[in-house]
Amino acid sequence: MSGTSDQLIAIVAEQLRISSERVTLESSLIDDLGADSLDVVDLSIAIEEEFSSDEHPIEITEEIAAEMRTVEDILTYLEDQGVV
Amino acid sequence: MVPEHSGALPRVVITGIGPVTPIGTGVAAFGASLREGRSGVAPIRSFDASDLKVRIAAEVNDFAPERYMSAKAAKRMARFSQFAVAASHLALADAGLDQAGLDPDRAGVVVNTGGGGVNTVLEEQELAARRGVGRASAFFVPTMAPNMAACQVSIELGLRGPVIASVAACASSVTAFIDGAHLIQRGEAELVLAGGAEASISPLGVSALANMHALSRRNDEPARASRPFDKDRDGFVIGEGAAVCVLETLAAARARDARIYAEVLGGGRCADAYHISAPDPEGEGAARAMARALQAAQLPPTAVDYVCAHGTGTVLNDAAETKAIKQVFGEYAYRLAVSSPKSLTGHLMGAAGAVSVTATALALERQFLPPTINLDTPDPDCDLDYVARRSRAAGVRAALANGFGFGGQNAVVALARVDG
Repeated sequence: MSGTSDQLIAIVAEQLRISSERVTLESSLIDDLGADSLDVVDLSIAIEEEFSSDEHPIEITEEIAAEMRTVEDILTYLEDQGVV
Repeated sequence: MVPEHSGALPRVVITGIGPVTPIGTGVAAFGASLREGRSGVAPIRSFDASDLKVRIAAEVNDFAPERYMSAKAAKRMARFSQFAVAASHLALADAGLDQAGLDPDRAGVVVNTGGGGVNTVLEEQELAARRGVGRASAFFVPTMAPNMAACQVSIELGLRGPVIASVAACASSVTAFIDGAHLIQRGEAELVLAGGAEASISPLGVSALANMHALSRRNDEPARASRPFDKDRDGFVIGEGAAVCVLETLAAARARDARIYAEVLGGGRCADAYHISAPDPEGEGAARAMARALQAAQLPPTAVDYVCAHGTGTVLNDAAETKAIKQVFGEYAYRLAVSSPKSLTGHLMGAAGAVSVTATALALERQFLPPTINLDTPDPDCDLDYVARRSRAAGVRAALANGFGFGGQNAVVALARVDG
């Protein structure tokens, strides 16, 4: 697994207050990890904060967040944004 | 008003207490500190207070929310709500009840507060200043709202009866017991968790209260700073925590052979209509609230052995409250005992009344008088028996617990020992 996915899994676990061992790329945020819509908002903010830099801001709009079902969906989006 | 009941109203009693306070969490620790006169005041630990005028507080140290709720639930709660949930679990367990034994639709919650989630507002504002309001937490509103302590108790314990959260500054949680008893007497609930929660110690809050000259500046002697009724008192010590009690009918308590701490006989509420922070110096409002509580309780003044004073340790409060007690009790004021648990716990503001009711319930059950510690030099204006320095064994038949808030809200609840 890449450094980015490890980092992402750690953020998901921290935001949802669950053990990182429970989180895989296939995990559905809502169905598997028990997140609700409020968790998803704060998770998006935490990811923006973690992966943004001054030269390369990452923005997860509400529309994008609505499409993110699994941890892998988030990872794919981050990779598309040039985060490696 | 048409009464819903024919005949007498059901009698309401306290069968469980759950303190989460600077002098102890749980009945055993709290009761021991109360009897031994242990102070919970210390240098502030939760933030760097070294540049502030006031650097002491009564904090709840080493509070572990995960002992009472999941990490996920704790994350969604401000500290005052975490305190309330912990206190509620403790109170139910102390009453010998568990969630499975309750009818959830007939169990209500009245958990009041002074500042609610004001610290969450401050923290989130600071975050927003750094990263922009566009990144405001989705949890901000349902975390900071003052009703959330009561609602989180309802959610975490699965209680689906009426839930009330009202604010009356430092009278808030005396009010909770009056409303809680009313819910049961009117038949809206069979059981009520009543109390208060407060966690609003912050650099801004401490500094603002210090600038009002409301707080003691005895920074070098924290354990001696809270000294109600003493000539050298110089203000209260800000505190945090919660206390929640289980209220149910006397009949229900007897049917399940529960330990009964005290009966809630009735309460009195009124307003000073005088000033935003100072009490009426003659104590007229405080006196009316006490008189109304006695009237509601149908209690002759001479049946009262103990007044658990609001007793903040400010120059104004303690003198006015003493005058009020004399106004209500006349010469008999010199024969009853008055004391202030705030000398030990500091001033828990929105939770202070619930701490006073809890202390009074213990006094009635265990037949002792909690002390007013640090009362070394009597103030000539405060010349009653304040149970100075040490607790003592005593016959306690009935008692009043006082709570007076900024804005002039006064609330007093009358409690009595239940024999047999």
